[in-house]
Amino acid sequence: MSVLKINGKDKSFEEDSMPATLTDLLRLMKVDSATVVAELDGQIIERANFATTPLKDGQTIELVRFAPGG
Amino acid sequence: MDQLIIADRKFDSRLLIGTGKFASSKIMAQAIEASGSQIVTVALRRVDITNQNDDMLSAIDRSKYLLLPNTSGARTADEAVRLSRLARAATGINWVKLEVTPDPYYLLPDPIETLKAAEILVKDGFVVLPYINADPILSKKLQDAGTATVMPLASPIGSNQGLKTRAALEIIIEQATVPVVVDAGLGLPSHAAEAMELGADAVLVNTAIATAADPVKMAEAFKLAVEAGRIAYLSGAAAESKKASASSPLTGFLRNE
Repeated sequence: MSVLKINGKDKSFEEDSMPATLTDLLRLMKVDSATVVAELDGQIIERANFATTPLKDGQTIELVRFAPGG
Repeated sequence: MDQLIIADRKFDSRLLIGTGKFASSKIMAQAIEASGSQIVTVALRRVDITNQNDDMLSAIDRSKYLLLPNTSGARTADEAVRLSRLARAATGINWVKLEVTPDPYYLLPDPIETLKAAEILVKDGFVVLPYINADPILSKKLQDAGTATVMPLASPIGSNQGLKTRAALEIIIEQATVPVVVDAGLGLPSHAAEAMELGADAVLVNTAIATAADPVKMAEAFKLAVEAGRIAYLSGAAAESKKASASSPLTGFLRNE
């Protein structure tokens, strides 16, 4: 069992369903990656690098996008 | 109307629009269009993983409008810097509306943390538009630190109270070497016109448009008010006096004296 902390909440994955990269994770969660920026253990990951950024057990991920605001 | 220039970028409109509080993304997009605005502010928030339709801002045509991300929610300089860097990664451009508001009741900006964040962000290559209280000394310190504008508030965010800080705004405008954008608290087109008549370079409006009964018409009203105020400022206001001064000739009356 692997655990990722995504936007403040722990999410568990069986070994065979653990997403390999950020792109895989977004696909799994059905989030459109075109408008998303990620922070992995405090480091910003550019969208262009989502597919080549491997995920490991215990990592903290923030997924953000623009929202209405003044 | 003459162009607004911020950090060497030219804009035909002097009205900046916020995207918060609109009833739908369709009304938001129509209101932005009606406002004539070219700069549109947005916030940065966690993706709602449980809602696949939370991307309200896909309605904004990014080829027509400059998306200006804000750092709303930041309570410290460090949080604002983190949000700015995430926003840069999201937009691909380095403009940011810096706001640090630790007080949730009045949402007044923290001057010390704002200046601290501005210094870090300017060094990091950002075009920084800081939201501040109407403080002339802070305005000078920020422009000396290299911010692209100063954005003093008219009254608390979303309060629609109008220009409660008028006297301080006049000093800021007099002393500024960067564009002054009056932000927050403008509730009516007349408030926006008043700020522009004082010599503000631009205004930012959100709540007054988004929560009007007809946001699209209200956006147009603000557009016209900003243009009227700007033209009036450039025209040089006539002098005010206590006494009446007749507009019609005081000779040739039809009476015998």
